[in-house]
Amino acid sequence: MSNLVKAQNGAVTAAKSTGGGDTHQYLTFTLGGEMFAVGILNVKEIIEYGNLTEIPMMPAFIRGVINLRGAVVPVVDLAARFGGKISAVQRRTCIVIVEVTQEDARHDIGIMVDAVSEVLEIPARDIEPPPAFGAKIRADFIAGMGKVDGKFVIILEIQRVLSVDEMALLANVNQASPSDPEAIAA
Amino acid sequence: MEEIYSVFAQEAREQLTAMEDGLLRMEQGDQDAETLNAIFRAAHTIKGASGVVEIHHVEKFTHILENLLDKLRNGEMQVSSDMITALLQGCDHIGALLDRVDQGYMDEDPAVAAAGEATAATLRAFTGGAATAEQAGMVEASVGTVERAGGDTAISDCWHISIRFGRDVLRMGMEPLAFLRYLLNLGEIVHLTTLSDAMPLAEDMDPEACYLGFEITLRSHATKEQIENVFAFCRDECDLYILPPNSKVGDYLNLIEHLPEENMRLGEILVKSGAITQEELDQGLRRQKAAAKIAEATEQPTPQLGDILVDKKMVQPEIVEAAAARQKQVQEKKTAEARLIRVQADKLDQLIDLVGELVIAGASANLLAQKSGQGSLVEATSVLSRLVENIRDSALQLRMVQIGETFNRFNRVVRDTSRELGKDIDLVISGAETELDKSVVEKIGDPLMHLVRNAMDHGIEPAEVREAKGKPVKGRLELNAYHDSGSIVIEVVDDGGGLKADKIQAKAIEKGIIQPGQTLSEQEIVNLIFEAGFSTMEKVSNLSGRGVGMDVVKRNIQALRGTVDVKTEVDVGSRFIIRLPLTLAIIDGFLTSVGDASYVIPLDSVVECLALQDDATRGHMLNLRGEVLPFIRLREFFDVEGAPPQRENVVVISAGGQKAGIVVDQLLGEFQTVIKPLGNLFKHLRGIGGSTILGSGEVALILDVQALTQLAGQAEERRASPPQRIGAAMLSERE
Amino acid sequence: MTEFATQTTTDGALHLILDGPMTIYNAGEIKEQLMSGLQTSSILEIDLSHVGEMDTAGFQLLVMAKRESMRRGHTLRIVAHSPAVREVIDFYNMDAFFGDPMVIPAEH
Repeated sequence: MSNLVKAQNGAVTAAKSTGGGDTHQYLTFTLGGEMFAVGILNVKEIIEYGNLTEIPMMPAFIRGVINLRGAVVPVVDLAARFGGKISAVQRRTCIVIVEVTQEDARHDIGIMVDAVSEVLEIPARDIEPPPAFGAKIRADFIAGMGKVDGKFVIILEIQRVLSVDEMALLANVNQASPSDPEAIAA
Repeated sequence: MEEIYSVFAQEAREQLTAMEDGLLRMEQGDQDAETLNAIFRAAHTIKGASGVVEIHHVEKFTHILENLLDKLRNGEMQVSSDMITALLQGCDHIGALLDRVDQGYMDEDPAVAAAGEATAATLRAFTGGAATAEQAGMVEASVGTVERAGGDTAISDCWHISIRFGRDVLRMGMEPLAFLRYLLNLGEIVHLTTLSDAMPLAEDMDPEACYLGFEITLRSHATKEQIENVFAFCRDECDLYILPPNSKVGDYLNLIEHLPEENMRLGEILVKSGAITQEELDQGLRRQKAAAKIAEATEQPTPQLGDILVDKKMVQPEIVEAAAARQKQVQEKKTAEARLIRVQADKLDQLIDLVGELVIAGASANLLAQKSGQGSLVEATSVLSRLVENIRDSALQLRMVQIGETFNRFNRVVRDTSRELGKDIDLVISGAETELDKSVVEKIGDPLMHLVRNAMDHGIEPAEVREAKGKPVKGRLELNAYHDSGSIVIEVVDDGGGLKADKIQAKAIEKGIIQPGQTLSEQEIVNLIFEAGFSTMEKVSNLSGRGVGMDVVKRNIQALRGTVDVKTEVDVGSRFIIRLPLTLAIIDGFLTSVGDASYVIPLDSVVECLALQDDATRGHMLNLRGEVLPFIRLREFFDVEGAPPQRENVVVISAGGQKAGIVVDQLLGEFQTVIKPLGNLFKHLRGIGGSTILGSGEVALILDVQALTQLAGQAEERRASPPQRIGAAMLSERE
Repeated sequence: MTEFATQTTTDGALHLILDGPMTIYNAGEIKEQLMSGLQTSSILEIDLSHVGEMDTAGFQLLVMAKRESMRRGHTLRIVAHSPAVREVIDFYNMDAFFGDPMVIPAEH
């Protein structure tokens, strides 16, 4: 595994140990020039982008699968999931492995981000409710807007963003031939 | 739920299956003693086990069954068809009781209890009345013989009294005989064993002391208090234990612990305590010779018994035999248990995951060794790889179970259903030894059940109709299983009326599933039965035809990544073909690549490989030695980026009886691996059966060739068909 | 009270006839007789046809004699039973233990 991973993991542990009270820790990362955050408790690890196997007949936001120590883990292109363009792989592109819980089952899903920034503590009082519009992504994907150094960070409602059911449904529609309008309706 | 209860429920279910099997065999005329004994033993085991875990309502109910079985076994009653039906109902009720145990309730569900009461009453009606008279008669007839000595009567519905008189009883002017005889005023002494173990050697024996003890089986309606009162005068001078009828095994075991005869071998005490006598004794008699030998063998290494040597000879030979049989049985059971270990399924999964990783790690070590060019290292790693592969094979085998057990359950279903329908139907099973993954076996039961019932209800015609058609009056239902192209195929075949396309079409139009005037092929029409809300029978029976039939079957099978097809011919019958992947099974794959991606094709679907020659192709077909072979170009089909190489290759596959070609860039050869499921996110994905991890750590996809060819066919159809056909094609594919 | 008569039969067995009750009241005496019988011969035949009364103590003595005889590897036979004796042995379900043929009268 790359040095990046070790460094990031170290940061994660360090930040965790100083936490407490109403302040939660968030992993922040950039995506298409914007800053996003996910609750640190959902994050399992961060790995370098690479060795991805594409899965045919899937929507663009499902980039493929990777081998994570013997387990096959899907990787979601977060920018594409938000309805934007497919992310280009850059020098600092990495995959954040997130654990989501759905119907009592835990799934590990990788999210592809442009770059991981840092682990931040954001006090609850500095988190605003999500705006009705204007954030460019679906409102239900946003858990809140965190104020960090006078700027807003979008804190993601990662369980919604990575809803396995919803994504599987989208994948199904995709497979039933996107050129066929009737199929999508079905 | 505590583990002991789940283990109990599981084991009880196994016994229940054994009972049911036996009963069904009996009904088919197999009424030998061995079958009957097997049924009885199963019931007895359930009763005993439920007593040990103190689930008394199960124990109580099983006891009723056991009583009836005992009568059959003793030849006191003849088995009848009604009796078997009642016994099977009894099994069902026990099953229902176990369901509740599985749900974590130790009490009885009142609703289930009410149903059980009716069954119990039916069962009791068979034994009732005659019981006491017959029992008494039996004892009478066998005075001084085996039954008397060994206590071979239905003991557990009797009181059990253990009494050890104190040394001074006689000197104090009390007469044990008088007390014991008085018991006759309360009921019938079914059995009495006199124990003189406490008596010392003759020189030391005090002629005025009392050394005797008694184990008494009393059939009586008396209360415990009444029985205790019999011994009121000597109460302080003796040790008295009274166990009420239907006491649990635990109580008997408790009693054994309290009995002073600690030198007695366990078997003898169990026999004496009357808890589990009959079976042992029976076996003892049957294996008289074998048991006698073992009795000798087991007695010899107990020299410390001293004066009990005499005692041993004192014990009736029947008891020794029973005890010996018991010991033998215990040994047998121990060996059987040693051969079987229960392991939690997730522990197995974990092991298989680890072994899978081991295989992958081994493969990459192999690669590195080859790159290094060191001969000895290559050799060492290849030996290691071979061993790891063996381990993987064995590990995977652990999860494979035969489908036979699932099939056998249908003996009962077919029997009951055919009675209910008034049809005479034979069930023929083939391929029971076909293995598939346990997780698949668990989930295939329901769809199969529905298909079987449907075939009996709607498929096979009533006898008079069959006769009119000139068919054998007896219907025939087949359950087949076999391996094909890396899948397991399960067929449900009936020789009934077949599916009538015109009727189905009319119904589908009526239900709004298709539009009038739609042109559909016969097969397409037949496939409409898998649509939601379809049921052809006018009359809705309670077996099937609730309108939630075939579509549920199809959905369930698709959830297992399987397919279901039907082939039918009017008046000849229908054949439902379920094709399931062997998830988690060892997959022998053929590794290919397209661009940077690797794809594994299940080896048993591969027919041959050849180089693709452009001049032999036309559209998506190629000329295979004069044969037209449709092919799928994976590069196109999967939208793989990049230009194809100069020379492409074709893997000719056969799936579901159809041949097709899969065009890939490179052929990389055979390869054995562990299937890694792709997970829920890809649950709707068809054409890909799973994934596997290559030696390089890269994930390769495993093609589901069957689905892939279908998918390609549909894509083509969509492109080629007029618009109204699209609707139908979509419909038949809709989930 | 109880009278004892012994005679040796042609096959070398000691034939012991008990005449009278076998109860707690004469248990000591009967034990002595039985023991001496056991000492005297390796084959002891006991005739109980004249035993008019038997209680548990008397019965116990028979058990003792049988056990002792078996322990020594001797033979003990009860060659005749009075109804009283038979009734007690029967009730205690010890027929098989003694292993002697019992003459079952018609009324049984």
